[in-house]
Amino acid sequence: MDRRPVNTLRSSLATPFGPPLLERLQAYWMALGVSDPNLALALSEQTLRRLPDFPEEGEIAARAIIAAGELLDDWLAAALGLPRPSPALTAARAALLSGIVPEWPAALFAPPGAAGIALERLRAAIAEPTPAPSPGSMPAQRIEPLWKRS
Amino acid sequence: MTQPPSSIMGHTLRRVIFFVLVTLTTLIALGLLVSVFQPDGFSPMELLLLLLYTILFAWICISFWTAFMGFWVLLFGRDRWAISRQSPDTSPDPMAAPPRTAILMPIYNEDSERVFAGLRAIHRSLATTGQLDRFDFFILSDTRDPDVWVEEELRWQDMVRALDGKGRIFYRNRPENTSRKSGNLEDFCTRWGGRYRYMIVLDADSIMQGETLVEMVRLMELHPRVALIQTPPVPVNRESLFARILQFASSLYGRMFTAGLNYWQLGESNYWGHNAIIRIQPFLDYCGLPKLPGREPFGGEILSHDFVEAALLRRAGWEVWLAYDLVGSYEEIPPTLIDYAKRDRRWCQGNLQHLRLAFSKGLNALSRLHFLMGVMSYAASPLWLLFLIATGVEAYLQTQQELVYFFGENWQPVWPVSFAVEMTTVLLVTLTMLFLPKLLALLLLLKDRQLRRAYGGMLGATLSVLLETIFSVLTAPVLMLFQTKFVLAILMRKAVGWPPQQRGDHQTGFTEAVLAHGGHTLIGVVAGVLSYLYVPAFFWWFIPVLLGLGLAIPVSMLSSSMALGRRARQWGLFMTPEETESPTVLRDLEDGLRENEPVLPVLRETPSSRFVQVLIDPYVNALHRSLLPEREPPGKRRRHYLEGLIHQLEEEGPNSLSPTQKRELIAEPETLLRLHALFWSRPPAKMML
Repeated sequence: MDRRPVNTLRSSLATPFGPPLLERLQAYWMALGVSDPNLALALSEQTLRRLPDFPEEGEIAARAIIAAGELLDDWLAAALGLPRPSPALTAARAALLSGIVPEWPAALFAPPGAAGIALERLRAAIAEPTPAPSPGSMPAQRIEPLWKRS
Repeated sequence: MTQPPSSIMGHTLRRVIFFVLVTLTTLIALGLLVSVFQPDGFSPMELLLLLLYTILFAWICISFWTAFMGFWVLLFGRDRWAISRQSPDTSPDPMAAPPRTAILMPIYNEDSERVFAGLRAIHRSLATTGQLDRFDFFILSDTRDPDVWVEEELRWQDMVRALDGKGRIFYRNRPENTSRKSGNLEDFCTRWGGRYRYMIVLDADSIMQGETLVEMVRLMELHPRVALIQTPPVPVNRESLFARILQFASSLYGRMFTAGLNYWQLGESNYWGHNAIIRIQPFLDYCGLPKLPGREPFGGEILSHDFVEAALLRRAGWEVWLAYDLVGSYEEIPPTLIDYAKRDRRWCQGNLQHLRLAFSKGLNALSRLHFLMGVMSYAASPLWLLFLIATGVEAYLQTQQELVYFFGENWQPVWPVSFAVEMTTVLLVTLTMLFLPKLLALLLLLKDRQLRRAYGGMLGATLSVLLETIFSVLTAPVLMLFQTKFVLAILMRKAVGWPPQQRGDHQTGFTEAVLAHGGHTLIGVVAGVLSYLYVPAFFWWFIPVLLGLGLAIPVSMLSSSMALGRRARQWGLFMTPEETESPTVLRDLEDGLRENEPVLPVLRETPSSRFVQVLIDPYVNALHRSLLPEREPPGKRRRHYLEGLIHQLEEEGPNSLSPTQKRELIAEPETLLRLHALFWSRPPAKMML
């Protein structure tokens, strides 16, 4: 997991990808709730660093978008102590993107212990769609016509 | 856990009285008709008429005597053997942990806004009782429509956030809707049933007061021999004229009928599928439904599961009660005549299947009767139609007979015997059985000033009963033809789908009305002309039926009008207690629907398609993926298939995909993530959607 401080200087980018892709990624980070364009750009650069140097042709941009989500999941997993990958982590991502923690980068990138309240709110907002199972068996009953011999 | 002998004897006595009354009345009416036919001997047509009349009259008698007993119960106070009046079987242990109850709302492609507004109103009402923490809510979705599916997830999440319901308000969508509603409930029971002692089953349009829910649990706690308590749901909230007339009729007459049903059915009552509380353990032990051998309509999956579950509980020795005196249980009804018929179409096949189940081993006698009553709810229509046709033919044959006044050497004329008195008596008795319950329901209002006011005063209620009677006379032949068509289609194994009901108020247009009722009108005109030409005497008796059919199109359209419904309300017509003074839970529902202020920002927008939104919006996408059940990654063939759908979506857009294909795309987490990434990876000009 890459948790180095985010460098907001575009010049630090050292990947073989061009500006259109970077713009798409920046737009995506902003759709994820990053309101600062510079930060979004820096996160885009960091995302691209996760990609292999010579990715397959065709779906490079899509791979980069998925990588952005994975980067977010890495931070979430670390901040909330969740296993990766896990359904809880996907639920945590949903909770984060729901807007429960405004300006979430500040909370996720804060030094440990500095964003306790925000993280508690996030934890509380993680959806719990079903309770823990408590299974029972429901055997199919015999329904036989009166005239059938048993 | 058995009842005291005095109760058992009392219960038996009630049933003996009921069935003796039904049998005697049927025999008397049959005797009158026999006396008309007998002098000339019985022709095959007359024998058919006698048979049909006996079946149909017995059916009316059951209804009449039920209403009559309900009338006495309500006139002289409450039933001492009602489940709410019985002394407890056990004393509750004050040290024991209070039971946990799951409130279940099974849904299938319903209007999510209404579903969740209803649940919120119930939640709020329950909160006022101070016992909210004893209940959990489950939205059990069998929804297949991808747009509705995503909408449900957002509404659920919004409800959880707004009501701080994490860990109390749950949602799941079944990957496959095997065995429809019964399978949906079975899935709940087998996965989470062990957490709860009771479940309260609702329908998508059910509303229940918190106090009622608490009282249902209390009654179950006091009577451990009881497995199920059904409350009588009162229809509410609709504004169309059709629905308001039905709401009025169900409310005014329904209270008498449910009191009457409880009077003779007692602990061997029935389950109507919703607004009922069920003890989960016996339900798990005895209500697993098998697939019936053979083909549809009588074989295959059990469609109308509620009657069967009640019968199975009874077979295992558990009691099933109808708590006729529990108020605060509501439902909504179809807003138009056509929607009403659509609902009938869904129910008809399940009810006809009961014909086979009525003759199953080990069932209680009353369970068999419930099954046969279920069958008769629909089979009565073709039987009435056959009866009308046979009567017309018989009347025609009578007109073809030449009268002979002199026989042999006899010089004195033999005058034909007139049976007008007997025939009129038969008709009057039949009409009395049909319409007297309405009069009895009105009489009950005289007893209670508050109730009288709640129904719009004595004058308003009387006028409403009169108009409702005319309306039911006009619509009965139309429903008869609708139901006859459904029954025949099912018996001929023509597909009867389960289209979701259009539950919200809406008006019937001319085209829809002509398509639905054109055939009825034509039949009415042809039958009218034929009877007028060939059996003029019969024609005049036939007028109510002919009028109903001839006017089907305008009656259906006018009765669907919300403006007329509201106007009738302004005039104080078809008022119900829930309209006169709306209960808090219904007001909360109305407020919730009107205000609709979601917590989630994404719900404040109205996108053209939630399917597209789940592909694009990072939040909606993540929420949806987090709610998908864990499953094995798709196999190679499946991946290829999904790949094809992705290409189709990219090249031809979302409208080129069927709802099933859209659902398949968003039901697989990896595919969904890939689509999301594909969308965001394109420059805006090349975006696929």
